[in-house]
Amino acid sequence: MEIRRIGRYAWRYGWAALAVGGVVLLLVTSYDAVRDSKGSFMVLLQNVVLAAITYYLLFFLVLLIIRFAMLILYSFMDHLESLYKASGKDTVRYREDISLPMVSLIVPAYNEGLVIQPAMRSLLALDYPNYEILVVDDGSTDDTYEKAMVVAREATGVEVRVITKRNGGKADALNTGMSLARGEFVLNMDGDTKLSPNTLRACIRHFENAKVGAVAGNVKVINRENMLTRIQALEYVEGLAMARKAQSFGRVVNIIPGPLGMFRKSVLQQAGGYDRDTFAEDCDLTLKLLMRGWHIEYEPAAIAWVETPSRLQDLLKQRYRWTRGILQATSKHSHVLWQPRKAGINCYILWYMLFEGVMWPFSNLLGNVFFVFVGLQYGLATLLFYWWLQLTVLDVVAAAYCVVIEEEEPSLIFFAIMFRLFYINIIDVSKVFATIDEWRGHSMTWGKLEREGKL
Amino acid sequence: MDLISILATVILITTVGTMVVGLGAYGAFKLRDKRKPSSGRSDETMNAGDPLEPVFLTRYVPGSTAEPEPEPASHER
Repeated sequence: MEIRRIGRYAWRYGWAALAVGGVVLLLVTSYDAVRDSKGSFMVLLQNVVLAAITYYLLFFLVLLIIRFAMLILYSFMDHLESLYKASGKDTVRYREDISLPMVSLIVPAYNEGLVIQPAMRSLLALDYPNYEILVVDDGSTDDTYEKAMVVAREATGVEVRVITKRNGGKADALNTGMSLARGEFVLNMDGDTKLSPNTLRACIRHFENAKVGAVAGNVKVINRENMLTRIQALEYVEGLAMARKAQSFGRVVNIIPGPLGMFRKSVLQQAGGYDRDTFAEDCDLTLKLLMRGWHIEYEPAAIAWVETPSRLQDLLKQRYRWTRGILQATSKHSHVLWQPRKAGINCYILWYMLFEGVMWPFSNLLGNVFFVFVGLQYGLATLLFYWWLQLTVLDVVAAAYCVVIEEEEPSLIFFAIMFRLFYINIIDVSKVFATIDEWRGHSMTWGKLEREGKL
Repeated sequence: MDLISILATVILITTVGTMVVGLGAYGAFKLRDKRKPSSGRSDETMNAGDPLEPVFLTRYVPGSTAEPEPEPASHER
């Protein structure tokens, strides 16, 4: 058993080292080609516009490297901290089953007929002695309610309530569930999500600290069936294992994901629940909690398995909504951007969100257009390649780190190259247009994603 | 042509290609998102004067509406 475990570690570390070594070697090799044609790059500095863009892109690259380095550093520190806690040297209040507080699981569901039953059955199998399930059917036009009722009747030992109401959106459904919840803690999730059995025990430990108002869970992709969904699987692993873990070290997780977030009910009530004026109600609520001074942590062991879009059009729809939703949420708290002394770390969180949501996609696209132009106009395609390679090295290092930390499939590292080669350009176009649409105030609809029933 | 030049050409083509795909996919997404059934506009092919009767919802009753089958034409002189 021990030998197999060591073998798995060696396999994972081996692939990670090989991938990082490969791209770094390519970077070093290609540097010679860049150095050889160094004289021809001077053409970029002879034109004011080209020179300005060149310096801006260099500045952006430096910011990116700083971002990656800081995220990896802080996420590793958080990892060490969680290992220390897991070793049992920390005091644990919720140790005995009898001392575990009641948790209400709220499952908002709108036309989730295909996935609601497996999702609910995963909840019935949770390893926790004191919880209830509240399914809020948000005026579905399919058989969500009937299917939820079938599972509710099967349930023994866990109280399951299914409530149906007029359609009012996810925020409204979650608020309804919250008002009916009997637990001291509330776990909000999506109707298409499957939870790992240890979710509640893993999350509840964080609330031993009275300053912690909420805990964000770990979201993983269940339908890894084609290149698009595998790249998204890597994206989720990187976003959580690196960014959210790093934020968790500072207790300032900036988005509690919709598929899995646990809250103190009193904190949710204090914040007035979810607002309906954004398309990213989870991000908006998280910012509200952070602005009120609550600590928000991340729990990697609490896993929510979700189905991600397997078609490009659905993916663009999702990312378009996320981008605009995050911008709406950020704009609601924009006064904090200019108050670094008063707002403290919250000010930096908002700037970081703007960097990721606006500056990054714009700069990526600008870089690509610029280097394609330079490549075609001056025959300096090597420069485009070198730019691409530097970003790919960052992606591969991040992917290798996350695969090792999260004990994920090593094959995901390969998709870091696919991510940079195909995926991110397409997504960035959508993000840039979403930002422009939001800035111009174009109307938009929620847009329900089609489920394929892969849970 | 050395390896770096080949890779540079591949990246150039891929970058241009993915940006074009990105623009095309976004355009298709917006078109699809905008398209929805309009409730106000009536069907121009419909004669407003005619009584509105469901065409496909009339219950079919065997025998009551069936017309007698035509007899085969005789080719005898």
